[in-house]
Amino acid sequence: MNTQTYVGKSVPKLDAREKATGQAIYAADLNLPGMLYGKIVRCLDFAHAKVLKLDLSEAAKVPGVVKVLGPKDVTQKRYNSGVLDLMVPEALGEMLGDIEDQHIFTDYVRHQGDAICGIIAESEEIAEIAAQKVKVFYEALPAYLTAEESSHPDAIQFDARKPGNRAFQLPEQMFPGNGYGWGDVDAEMAKADMVFEETFTLPKVKQCQMETHSYVALLDQSGRLNCWTSTQMPKCVQPKLARLFDLPISRVNLVQTTIGGGFGVRLGMVCEPETCAMAMAVPGRPVKVQLTREEDWLASESRHPGKYWMKLGVKMDGTPVALDARFMASTGAYFTHASGVPFTTGSWLTGMYKYGAVRYKGEAYFTNQAPSGAFRGYGNPQTNFALEQIVDRACNALNIDPVEWRKKWHKGAGDDGWCIGVPYSSCALDECLDRGAKAIGWKEKRAKYANQTGVMRRGVGVSVMNHTSGAMPMLLEHTTCTIKMNEDGSAVLTLSCSDLGQGSHTVLKQIAADTLGMPMDEIHILNNMDAAGFDIGSHASRTTYVGGGAVIKACEDVKRQLIERASIRLGVDKEDLELKDRQVIARSDASKKLSVKEICHSGVYNFTNPANGETNGVPGQIQGYASHFPAHNSPPFGACFAEVEVDTETGEVKVLELVIAHDIGRAINPMAVQGQLEGGAHQALGMVLTEETRYNDMGLCRNNSFTDYKMLGPVDMPRITTILVEQPDPIAPMGLKSVGEAGPVNPVGATANAISHALGIMFTEAPITPERVLKALNP
Amino acid sequence: MKTKMITLCVNGKDHRFEAPVNRTLLQALRDDLKLTDTKYGCGTGECGGCTVLMDGKDNVCSCLTLAVEAEGRHITTVGGMTREGELHPIQIAFIELGAIQCGYCTPGMIMKTAGILADNPNPTEEEIRKGLDGNICRCTGYEKIVLAVRRASEMMDTAQTRKVGGMSA
Repeated sequence: MNTQTYVGKSVPKLDAREKATGQAIYAADLNLPGMLYGKIVRCLDFAHAKVLKLDLSEAAKVPGVVKVLGPKDVTQKRYNSGVLDLMVPEALGEMLGDIEDQHIFTDYVRHQGDAICGIIAESEEIAEIAAQKVKVFYEALPAYLTAEESSHPDAIQFDARKPGNRAFQLPEQMFPGNGYGWGDVDAEMAKADMVFEETFTLPKVKQCQMETHSYVALLDQSGRLNCWTSTQMPKCVQPKLARLFDLPISRVNLVQTTIGGGFGVRLGMVCEPETCAMAMAVPGRPVKVQLTREEDWLASESRHPGKYWMKLGVKMDGTPVALDARFMASTGAYFTHASGVPFTTGSWLTGMYKYGAVRYKGEAYFTNQAPSGAFRGYGNPQTNFALEQIVDRACNALNIDPVEWRKKWHKGAGDDGWCIGVPYSSCALDECLDRGAKAIGWKEKRAKYANQTGVMRRGVGVSVMNHTSGAMPMLLEHTTCTIKMNEDGSAVLTLSCSDLGQGSHTVLKQIAADTLGMPMDEIHILNNMDAAGFDIGSHASRTTYVGGGAVIKACEDVKRQLIERASIRLGVDKEDLELKDRQVIARSDASKKLSVKEICHSGVYNFTNPANGETNGVPGQIQGYASHFPAHNSPPFGACFAEVEVDTETGEVKVLELVIAHDIGRAINPMAVQGQLEGGAHQALGMVLTEETRYNDMGLCRNNSFTDYKMLGPVDMPRITTILVEQPDPIAPMGLKSVGEAGPVNPVGATANAISHALGIMFTEAPITPERVLKALNP
Repeated sequence: MKTKMITLCVNGKDHRFEAPVNRTLLQALRDDLKLTDTKYGCGTGECGGCTVLMDGKDNVCSCLTLAVEAEGRHITTVGGMTREGELHPIQIAFIELGAIQCGYCTPGMIMKTAGILADNPNPTEEEIRKGLDGNICRCTGYEKIVLAVRRASEMMDTAQTRKVGGMSA
């Protein structure tokens, strides 16, 4: 009997026990027989330079060094570590202008930390000693740290394919005038009673996942390239490695190890190419590469920094007649996500409010900083900082309550969505705003904190957001799932969906258990990339939504087979049969039933009676399968309220409370949903208050460590109240909508608006550090 | 590098081996003893991911401690918290309250918690937050970790559970 259901319950994470006992295996925990250690030698002294000469001779002589590899000792193929090429049709990719511009080892340094060569040695220590003996002679080039500098006509061109160092702008063929939106912005803006215009500056924020990038790779005796990696995109990295090293996908064994946080930094390849290139050079011997924290910072991607210009025109009654916006992002040294993020940043903008007319232009420029890439929210926190502040400025000028304005003007169900042409399927933002406002005491505090004059000043702010559940129809959305029924009625769920720690495997198993009506502990999740079919990977807040849809379909396939077989065995119409309590039972006659176990068992242990040729059941092991393409992207909305206290003598901002009301559709696992919102808030507050990777004039990073790059600690974090608003989406599997990427979005705008409420000053530069606050208070 | 023959007592078991004198305790645990339950996060004492417990009460970052310095001390790692398959209340609290996401900071967080509770069995929320400072988590916003430490202190209080790691604290 199984009457228990799991969906809607805060089931602890499947791997929590392994993690709590130290038994979860991360890539750096692997110790394979005969294992060697690889060290990537990086350029640390320059951000922009040509390698004139590379002398590896002394390094090669160090006892214990097995091999040294320069740029010419590895494949000369270029690649793009991002995965957009696998997500859009080729023609669209060409139109977006994505290019392959990365080398495994380079002789042209484009950012501090660029990889120059590799050392393979018997121990990590030997590899490090040898790395010190590598001699590199550089010709220094001027370092360009902003889009303004690199787009200067005299600037050195990074790539002949990208004149003016402009890596991306919205393509003219798709969007005449290189912008998207609707209506005649210039004409509508002219009709506005008031116009608000501002340029916001957004910081280079690091994901700071706790596990530094680490890998093991092995070219084994069968000629297979094995790569152990904590990538969040296993089924994209596998074909990318296959292409880079000229192997069929079947000869790339990608093993996904426990992922020590991702938040987008593992979206695509990171140092898999370098590690695999080293392994290819020493067949039969595994090579481990583990990046130091400082190195991880210099070498891997961050959130896109940039300038976000915005102009909002309103009528006196608050009607937003026009919005004009342009995001000039710095994509850093390589192309990677240069098209994806500046494109998508505007989606959250156009998807939020019912402007009379709107125009968004997004561009990306190369700079001599570490590449920018994917970071949880994918442009949404940047939009939130700018848009939600300019909306509040208008509300203040018009004396309109910011909550009421948002309730009146936000888009909702049936309105054109973030992807223009795809209407929103549901929206519970009004309930989020109402419940959030009540929880923080909005009206009382808004009035109480107006016009303060003391040293310590408080403020409350609100911000709303929209996001998506998967990237359909803009990008490929596809997840496969297989459920094999064992002969005892237990099941193995095989899929390649990633669990970065957010608990996606747990919720997928909850969904499977409820759909099949069986206990969770009789289902095993197999996350083997040889056995599992395709899944695009963990991005765009998609795994529960698209993966969940795939799991349900595969489970329904199992149910269909169980009922078909029971129908044959019992002589009862399929329509009269249902799956209940792990039995297939006739509705019309409950005595006619077969257990799931019996059907599964007789399918495997299927014997033929020699006397009469009859079998003891329908032959064949039952497997359910789904290759699932979702029909929609059921976008979640959310409202965040922040209360802050600003010390006007020190400039310090303390966030006292956050209330986050999220339009989750249906919470499959409420505790996991809360965890996403709370953890996301930590990243959002960091972006708005303290976090920024800084460079000196030479382009050398000044704070690639946890001491110098300030993340909020447990003492700094406010009390967080999460409100899960459950209005099931009509299209989504089980009504669920996403949460992961939503986490770091609206606490950004809510906190900025709360500071503005406390001081009467809008801050256009993030992070809003004590220095900036003091400067604004004492101009 | 000069080496020294040392004995490290980890989770109640003695390990004798020759260690270079510059070997950190973290390297000794992970690379020499292959005890990979303690994690590298920064190598410079900034993240607390490698936190272990000395003599059942003192927290140290194993990346800032030399292996030779640890000789003669009882070292407890997260792998030593479980007894005959039975989880320690701190581990139970972390699991049940959702204080674990990616899990990479968890070994250090659990050992930090053990140190906090050894020093102060009944900490207030403020004391918990101050106690956890220095251990970075990027997944949870600390909210559920703070709750888990509180729950663990209650569980250890009421159940009169054994001391952390069974050491002579």
